[in-house]
Order: sequence, then C-alpha cells, then structure tokens
Amino acid sequence: MSLFAFLGTLEIGFIYGLVAIGVYLTFRILDFPDLTVDGSFTLGAAVTATLIVAGQNVYFATLCGTLAGACAGLVTAWLNLRFNILHLLASILTMTALYTINLRVMGKPNVALIMEPTVLTPFEGLGLPDMYMKVIFVAVCAIVGALLVAWFLNTEYGLAMRAVGSNKRMAQANGIVVTEKVYVGLALSNGLVGFAGALFAQTNGFADSTMGIGTIVVGLAAVIIGQSLFASRSMWVIAISCIVGSILYRIAVSLALNADFLGFKASDLNLITAVLVALALIFPKLRSEWKAKRAVENNR
Amino acid sequence: MIRCENLHVTFNHGLPTEKLALQGIDLTIPSGEFVTVIGSNGAGKSTLLNTIAGDIKTTRGEIFFGDRNVTKLPATGRTKDIARVFQDPLAGTCGNLTVEENMSLAYGRGKRGTLSFALNSKLRVVFKEQLSRLNLGLEDRLESEMGLLSGGQRQSVSLLMSALQPSSILLLDEHTAALDPKTAALIMDISSQIIAEKKLTVMMVTHSMRQALDHGSRTVMLHEGKVIFDLVGKERADYEVKDLLNLFAKAKGDGEELDDDKLLLGS
Repeated sequence: MSLFAFLGTLEIGFIYGLVAIGVYLTFRILDFPDLTVDGSFTLGAAVTATLIVAGQNVYFATLCGTLAGACAGLVTAWLNLRFNILHLLASILTMTALYTINLRVMGKPNVALIMEPTVLTPFEGLGLPDMYMKVIFVAVCAIVGALLVAWFLNTEYGLAMRAVGSNKRMAQANGIVVTEKVYVGLALSNGLVGFAGALFAQTNGFADSTMGIGTIVVGLAAVIIGQSLFASRSMWVIAISCIVGSILYRIAVSLALNADFLGFKASDLNLITAVLVALALIFPKLRSEWKAKRAVENNR
Repeated sequence: MIRCENLHVTFNHGLPTEKLALQGIDLTIPSGEFVTVIGSNGAGKSTLLNTIAGDIKTTRGEIFFGDRNVTKLPATGRTKDIARVFQDPLAGTCGNLTVEENMSLAYGRGKRGTLSFALNSKLRVVFKEQLSRLNLGLEDRLESEMGLLSGGQRQSVSLLMSALQPSSILLLDEHTAALDPKTAALIMDISSQIIAEKKLTVMMVTHSMRQALDHGSRTVMLHEGKVIFDLVGKERADYEVKDLLNLFAKAKGDGEELDDDKLLLGS
C-alpha cells in the first residue's frame, strides 16, 4: 500500500470511528439495534453539502448536518416508543424514508464540494501537506468525540442510560425514565453519525445519495473488532477501541482489495465487508470453544 | 403511611380473558408498620404491590402516601418514597454493570441524574462500608460485574441498594423465595435490621406462613383480590401456622382444599 493510500485509509477510518461510537451507543449501551445510521450518515452529508453550496457558514452547515442526524434518530425512537413498532423495523422505516428525503434535500443524486470552503479550509496552507492535515483534523475530531462520549457514559446520566439498556425494570424501580433515555441515546448516536457524514462530505468533496449504504455493517464491524482486541469495561478504553477497530477494518479492506493474488475488484467491496464482519463475529465464539475444548483435554 | 381506598384492578377489561385482579382493597398501613401479605397464587398479592409501586394503573379507587394522592403518579415518580426488592434476584440489579455502578444507580434513586461523575472515592467508601455489613466479602468486589455474583449475593446487594437512599416505604415481593434456606435466612435477617434501623413502612409478600407470622407486626391475607382477614396485636401473637390455615379454609367458606403446597410446606 502506498503512503497516499494509507493516509486515505486512516482518514476514512477515523471518520467511521465516529460512526462506530454511535453504533456502540445503540447496539451495546441501549440494546437497541438501530439501522437508521445508513440514512442519517447520508443526511448529515447531504444537509451540510447543500448548505455549503448555498453559501452558508461551514461550521453552521456542519452543525445542521449533525442536528439533522439527531432528528432522524428521534423519529426512530418515537416510532418505537410511542407506537410500539419493533426497534429494528422502526429504524428500517426511518432509513427508507431518509433515502427520499436525502434526494429532496440535495435536489439531485449528488452534490460536489469542489472549490467550496469546508471546515478544513482554515488549516490549508499552514505548511503541512493537505493529505497529512486532513488525517490530523479527522483524528482530532474522532478522538475528542470518543472522549466526550466516554465522559458522558461515566456521568450519573450516562450510567442511567446504561442501566436502561441492561435492565429496564431495575432502571424504572430506581426512578429512571426509560423513554427519555432512549430518545436521548438515539439522538446522540445518530447525531454522531450525521457529524461523521458531514465530515466525510467535506474531506472527500461530495455528498451522494447512496453513500450511506452499508454504514451500519461497517460501524458494527469496527465495534466488534475493537471490542475483541481490547477486553475492557472502561468506557474510555471502549470508546477509543471503536476508533481503533474502525481503522483496522479499513486497513483490512484495503489490503484485501490491493492484494493482486486475491484478484478482487473495487466492486467486490460489499462481499469483503460481509466476510470480514462474519469473521469478526465468528472468531470470539471459536476462540472460547477452543479454550473449553483444551480445558477438557487438560483435565483428562 | 400507605392508604388504599376501594382499590380495583382489572386486566384485559371487556375481553373474554378479563381478570378481576383486585376487587376493592381498603387498607391503611400506618408509618413504621411491617405488614406481611399472604394468599394463594393469583390472589392479587403481587398485583397489590405493583399497583402501590405504580407499575399497574388502578381501574378504580385511590392510593395515598401520607396525605398525598399518588394514584395518577407514574412508577418513576413514586421512587422517591418507595424502595423495592423483587423475587427474581436478577431483576433488582443490572447484570452487566459492576457492583459499584449498581449501587451508584440506587444511590441516585428518585433524583435526576446529573452530568457529574457517577462514581467517586467518597461514594466508594460509603459502598464499601455498606457491603461489609453483609459479611460476604463483597466489599472487595466493587468492580466485579454483577452478573458474576451468585443469586444470593445479588439479592443481598439489592437489599442494601434499597436502603442507600432514604425512603419511607419498602416493598418486598417474595424476596427470599428463589434462595436456598440458609441464604434466605441471611437475607431475612438483613431485611429486619434495615427495616428497624430506618423505621420503614413495609409490605412483604410471602408464600411461607411461618415467615408471615414471625416477621412484622401485622398479617393480611388476600383471596380473589380482596382482603379476607387482617391480624394484629395479641390475637396475632397467639396464632400458629395451623390456625392460619384453618382461618384460610373458613374464610373461603366452601371447604375447598388448599391447592398450594407452598402454603403448607413453607417453613
């Protein structure tokens, strides 16, 4: 892999690290499998890109993209909590609706951001080559995001949210309002994913209606890889491990695509993704089976 | 003080499966009284407790805590006054949170969670001190995941958690039923200690006639959603398990055999 390709991999890895943290919040903390992210990632990108092209301030545009993502999360939570629609189905409905909404927001299938100002503009021409500067910028965003989420989960409010995902009845008996925690959790998760979409659009120079497809799988892969590498209960370690998992996932994908003897084409990406995620899910299970087997043999 | 006035609860109202779970309960429990609640399966014991806690909405009738009418208050709004321990040792704690995290949640019961850290060294000292009362060695396992503890240990911690935050009412729903006899005795001991120490108003549902007579100062028996008798004072002191069973058969009036072995066998 060339240095240029490696930096690109890192950049995408950090951005999807934010997605992974969002996915961790819903899947692991709230026990709410949320597929809204496929739509909210694109929504964040679409809203931000459209506002920038319309001449709005880039920070304002990024904030709007983030908030739009959060609103998408609220819709899913509302469908689930108010009308008892199964969480998975509620999120699929929101995701489906968002595909149309994203096309409407952009007014066309994609918006280019070439020659437009972005959040990166102030850092251009500070002496650092653009490709390094981009990586550092997204790295700072991802790590600050991870630390903020870890801090939040360690607070009284965050702990109450973790209790809701773990044991609703216990949470309620201790005076925790379950619905409120689910709303806040889904808004936070999808807000992070919307922010990741906004960053992606600005670093890559476009927003596209299909860019969000498979976001959930990538996020989940990062969470699982990160957690199988760092077995820790500390929220700080877990948040950072989501980012590490995301980067490792990206490196694995680009190695697979670049290894000539495997003969993969760029269009094989989804198959590689699915296989990698399946492996990441299978491996911990096999490892514990091997361990149990060995323990039995040793006792013989 | 808890006051229930003409409490009715109906499940599946208007459907063929309609069940009249509570049919006009009038019960006043003065502050500091410890009431044991008995009755066969389906008598409405747990329904009564869950209705007082706010998990179940009343169909008719009203509930007061002191002078306050709480009939319309949701369960989470009542947690300032009520602490609970459930029958299932897994229900009262979060299995994938640590012992100290669970205790921190209970420490904040009935308050709004703020954005300050849920755990700090001051709290850990308090939790350690409380856990050491159990003599189970749990004071050294603050950072263990709750799921790694045995059922008895988890129930002991649930009990401690119920007393971490001042409350006036404690609802115990067969909280020793799922435990072995030795652990059950230990849990009952700790319960009595905490109740005496904090001068709590207590309702304890139990399947054991023995436990019902040995603990507390009043025994109430439910049958088909009604209070069929209410024992206090000297009359109660003279009662034996045998008398209780006779009374039960008489109150039912139809000479029906007791279908619940636990009532007879409960030690």
